[in-house]
Amino acid sequence: MSRQFRVRDALLPDIDGALALTMAASTVAILLGALVQIRYGGYQMPFETVWRALFDRAVWTNPGIIATILLGDGLAQTLGVYRDLSVLSDATAVVWTLRLPRVAVAAFVGANLAVAGAIFQAITRNELASPYILGVSSGAGFAVVVTIVFSLGTYLLPVAAAVGGTGAFLLVYAVAWRGGTTPVRLVLAGVVVGTIFNSLQTGVFYFIDSNGAMRTAVSWLAGSLTGVGWTDVRLVVIPTLFVVPAALVAARQLDVLLLGERRARSLGMRVETVRFGLSVLAILATAAAVAVAGLVGFVGLVVPHAVRTAVGSDYRKLLTGCLFAGPALVVVADVVARLGLGGTQVPVGVVTGLVGGPYFLLLLRRTASFNEF
Amino acid sequence: MPPTQDTSTDEARQPTDAATGGDTVTDEDPVDSAALLGSALQLGYGDGVVVDCEDIVVPEGEVTALVGPNGSGKSTLLKGFSAELDPQGGTVLLDGEDVQTREPKQLARELGLLAQENDAPGGLTVEDLVSHGRYPHRGFLDPLDDEDEAHVDRAIDLAGVDHLRDTPISELSGGQKQLAFVAMALAQDTDVLLLDEPTTYLDLHHQLRVMEVVRTLNEDRDVTVCVVLHDLQQAARFADYLVALDDGDVYDWGPPEDVVTETLLADVFDVDAAVTYDGEPRIVPRRPLD
Repeated sequence: MSRQFRVRDALLPDIDGALALTMAASTVAILLGALVQIRYGGYQMPFETVWRALFDRAVWTNPGIIATILLGDGLAQTLGVYRDLSVLSDATAVVWTLRLPRVAVAAFVGANLAVAGAIFQAITRNELASPYILGVSSGAGFAVVVTIVFSLGTYLLPVAAAVGGTGAFLLVYAVAWRGGTTPVRLVLAGVVVGTIFNSLQTGVFYFIDSNGAMRTAVSWLAGSLTGVGWTDVRLVVIPTLFVVPAALVAARQLDVLLLGERRARSLGMRVETVRFGLSVLAILATAAAVAVAGLVGFVGLVVPHAVRTAVGSDYRKLLTGCLFAGPALVVVADVVARLGLGGTQVPVGVVTGLVGGPYFLLLLRRTASFNEF
Repeated sequence: MPPTQDTSTDEARQPTDAATGGDTVTDEDPVDSAALLGSALQLGYGDGVVVDCEDIVVPEGEVTALVGPNGSGKSTLLKGFSAELDPQGGTVLLDGEDVQTREPKQLARELGLLAQENDAPGGLTVEDLVSHGRYPHRGFLDPLDDEDEAHVDRAIDLAGVDHLRDTPISELSGGQKQLAFVAMALAQDTDVLLLDEPTTYLDLHHQLRVMEVVRTLNEDRDVTVCVVLHDLQQAARFADYLVALDDGDVYDWGPPEDVVTETLLADVFDVDAAVTYDGEPRIVPRRPLD
């Protein structure tokens, strides 16, 4: 068998009707959301202008311009491909440097959170697990608030979030470990560590004295995409390029892990090693999302759950579905967060929460029994 | 113990004197034909010791049933055999080599385990489930190859679940589900198969189906089977050898007609019962003993 076949077999799912539909519907939602996001805002333009800006020949026929937009001034200069962007028309500049990156970040955040949620749901064998179940949110939140209170510099916030989240996760693992772990021990340890960090965070919050700092803190804790740019895209894209293929390759391990620990072991899986490796993968995805957007809630919970309902629990299909549905949810939610209230932007996490709540209400009303997983 | 008995006499085995209970465990170098051999084995959880026995043998190519009352250590012993539990003392040898020292996947290619719990994600089909039985034979990136598919087909066929191939596990009855899991264990293609109470909770039809599959596997493919059974009568009918456990130790070992006696029922199970052999063992329990 050729190499190409092996790569295809290791990465791609069998695309059936339900999965194709999920992918198609999500793609449509992403495109529509992106178009609205790009069209509306402080700088008003008709769709025709949007179209012309998107396919502006000044951008597409000029690799230097594209490189400068995507890589940023600094890196472009280092590589010697820098071009001055002031040659672009206003509409093109707004679309390419302000609105497109926001859509891109939203899509990456959605994909990472959905994949992380799907992985954690298998690891904890709990279909209502979220990427934050092992203490990540509270650890990241605490680190962010500390960074803000001690004015360590806003540019450090992504690093603080990632480090805090990962630290809390490692702590959870250490607390849960007793000659091995179990899903229940991990979840309980997550609660323990989460509770402590949340208290600490609330305590530190009390010391924030300026309104601006308070607002920054709140928008981080709620998850916001306000003011993101290509820098954030670059930040999130690198872990994503690693996490997504790795997760797809590991899909079979997740499937076997779902059969139960004892059975996975009797099939020759090193359960502890695999579980820790997969957790690290999911934490990496979560940290990537948290670093650029803060703690966007519910995406990692709702998306895998909804996709599972549509495509079943085969993890290669599930993860593939998540890679489309996650971005769709966050891109659309961010449209609402940015444009829904007219002048004032709300954190996108507020909107995803408002979507996530009713989803589970619907589920609660419709489903008779909950032991399908 | 004499595990070198001629297996060809299994069918023609004559009922022997049902009163010969006692200790048939002797030291006649059982290692040669033992698929699994536990020696000076101590197994337990935390500080507590549940199983503490000198020698225990699962002879190669035979069906051995572990019987005993609740808490006698049957399932714990099985966990020791499958390296799920580290022994506190002693060793478990599989084909003469310690089970603990094997690579997990290597062990899973030689020894299969069918646990009692039967959880599977709802949307999984029988075929998906059975193909997971090939896990120990595949590398991290290996797709299911032709050989794997052949094993999956054979396992599905052998377990008689061909008509359920594309049915989701969640839509199966308890008995069908168990047969699907049996098929998964068969796809693992091991020389030794351990089963932990595979028939508990099943209706009579499926109990017999499961046992029949296991029996066929043993006869046609020479797989060594070690099964924990709750039902003594079923064990006596179905197994070549019985190991009766009492309080974590081997009480008796041998062919069913030697092991299943009124004395055993009184001593181990605390039951007053009449045991007769009429080609097949018949146990009529009368009352519990205090």
